[in-house]
Amino acid sequence: MTSKTMNMVQALNSGLDNLMAADDRIILLGEDIGTDGGVFRVTDGLLAKYGAERVLDTPLVEVGIVGMAIGMAVQGLRPIPEIQFQDFIYTAMDQIINQMAKIRYRSGGEYECPMVLRTPYGAGVKGGLYHSQSGESYFAHTAGLTVVTPSSPYDAKGLLISASKGEDPVIFLEPKRLYRAGKQEVPEDIYKIPIGKAELVQSGDDVTIITYGAMVPTVMDTVKKNNLNADVLDLRTLVPVDKDAIMLSVQKTGRVVIVHEAPRTGGFGGEISAMITERGIDFLYAPILRVTGPDSPIPYRMEEYYVPNERRILNAVRKVLESA
Amino acid sequence: MEQQQKKESKQSEKPQYIRAYAAMVLSRTLDKKIVSAQRQGRVGFYTPTMGQEALQVGVSMALEKEDLVYGYYRDVPMMLHRGVPIETIINQIMGNSADTAKGRQMPSHYTSKALHFMSVQSPVASNLPLAAGAAYALKYRQKKNVVVTTFGDGATSTPDFHAGMNLAAVFKLPLVFVCENNGWAISLPVERQTPVEISLKASAYGMPGVKADGMNFVEMYKVARAAIQDARAGKGPTLIDALSYRMGPHSTSDDPTKYRKDDVKEGSEKDPLVIGEKLLISMDYADDKLLEKIRNEAVKTVDERFDACEKIPPPDPITAFQDVYKNMTWMLEEEVKDIL
Repeated sequence: MTSKTMNMVQALNSGLDNLMAADDRIILLGEDIGTDGGVFRVTDGLLAKYGAERVLDTPLVEVGIVGMAIGMAVQGLRPIPEIQFQDFIYTAMDQIINQMAKIRYRSGGEYECPMVLRTPYGAGVKGGLYHSQSGESYFAHTAGLTVVTPSSPYDAKGLLISASKGEDPVIFLEPKRLYRAGKQEVPEDIYKIPIGKAELVQSGDDVTIITYGAMVPTVMDTVKKNNLNADVLDLRTLVPVDKDAIMLSVQKTGRVVIVHEAPRTGGFGGEISAMITERGIDFLYAPILRVTGPDSPIPYRMEEYYVPNERRILNAVRKVLESA
Repeated sequence: MEQQQKKESKQSEKPQYIRAYAAMVLSRTLDKKIVSAQRQGRVGFYTPTMGQEALQVGVSMALEKEDLVYGYYRDVPMMLHRGVPIETIINQIMGNSADTAKGRQMPSHYTSKALHFMSVQSPVASNLPLAAGAAYALKYRQKKNVVVTTFGDGATSTPDFHAGMNLAAVFKLPLVFVCENNGWAISLPVERQTPVEISLKASAYGMPGVKADGMNFVEMYKVARAAIQDARAGKGPTLIDALSYRMGPHSTSDDPTKYRKDDVKEGSEKDPLVIGEKLLISMDYADDKLLEKIRNEAVKTVDERFDACEKIPPPDPITAFQDVYKNMTWMLEEEVKDIL
């Protein structure tokens, strides 16, 4: 398989291209995704290649984009809608929670809703309150949804392809801070990364750091710079989360730090923490600590104070290491 | 020649109209049966359809077998006319093990994929954007079929109504919007829902909007047929404002005496079934004897099927937790173990 150096935007674009070439049921729809190629250029060039019937520049209506995609999926297509910023998804939440997530259940399995809803999320591009949110918990709390978030170009493409090949709706959260943050060798053809499996990014004995999405590179930088002997788990999929990978690591280290960018209260870290204590409190030598965004909106000028950084991650790691 | 054609069309029209009337009667009979069963505690809840039979049957008459319906929770007459077995409806109301959705949804939320009836949600109008997507899929596959989506007058105030209408117009979709304007959104009269006539809203989207007498199944059929023909011919969507009346309460939990006086009594001149009977007699398609026979058969069918469905046991509890995903997640497996 030939590969190419790609950033995350290019990898996603390549994944969409592969999917569309292989399957005419794949339809893209969203705001400015056609002629403009998407505000982040993820769908660049696909209109020219696949035509306006398969790459739809829609009116500005999130509830309509999602609702229309659901109708397409129910009638046998495989839509991949884009919501321009995750912050704008909330008018479509009724469609996501009450339609998309419940089609299979409420129809006794007669109807299905296989689709991938892509949307960029997270801070780091100076977007302020309305272009920076991390709302993964809203989706994780709804039965019927699969929630995926990649942390590298390679993962982004492989997870997107898996998500699109599944039989259920997937919320695909793209960490926009990483869109152009780094390049990687990425296969040009189709390949899959399994949904529901975490990746052990680095192996160590002293502490388990559990993270996902845009925080993965920040955690890895911290670990490398400070020579931490840590297991670093990139969850990749939040729902269904990979409990086996988590428990295996916790059993080994007995010390856990969870890092995510979303606010702490009701955040996904709380779920992981509860899961670990329910299953293995006896393995723990220290309280589980969370390093998260604060329970505030995301500021524009002072963004760097919001997003978890090396200092805060290191503090938490030291604390759990110091516990008896 | 012309006379011959007229005679032929009359020959095919007669059974078509009789069938339409029979579906209305069957629906009305079932409606009353369910409401009385609810009062006896044999059924949990129901949203009666009384008063909306003619409009729904009129639409259904204009549909072809492979056309799709994205309806709402008051579409029993349309389902029965389309050929959905009466058991499908009763079993759904009962939430028993023979229900398509295994008793997961509260009564009045039907599904019939075999007859292209999309499963019904509760939140009002959220089926409209879906209908646009479904219509897009038909157009994309170059099928000659159309989608009909139904909703009440209250739905016209929602964001989803706007989204669905606008998308259908922008993409010129084979989609017909049927507003089952029964005058009431629970307690709010349509005059308070919107200050303009609902059919006029269509002009804001650049599509035709037509008013139809939803109490007269023949008039309704003609209006629906024209709109559906246009959609099928690639001329894009139409909004039909089907004027009717919700003769019953919003649901069995609602007491309409709190907010309105009943102005269409069953059996009165305004009752769509009475209007239908008069039409059939005036066209010489039926006489009192035939009409009575249809009514008696409906009672017999409803009583028999209702009793039979009532004997069907409830679903296996495990089914309450299936079909959330294609394959059950480990979380749910664990939770179910704790419950069952």
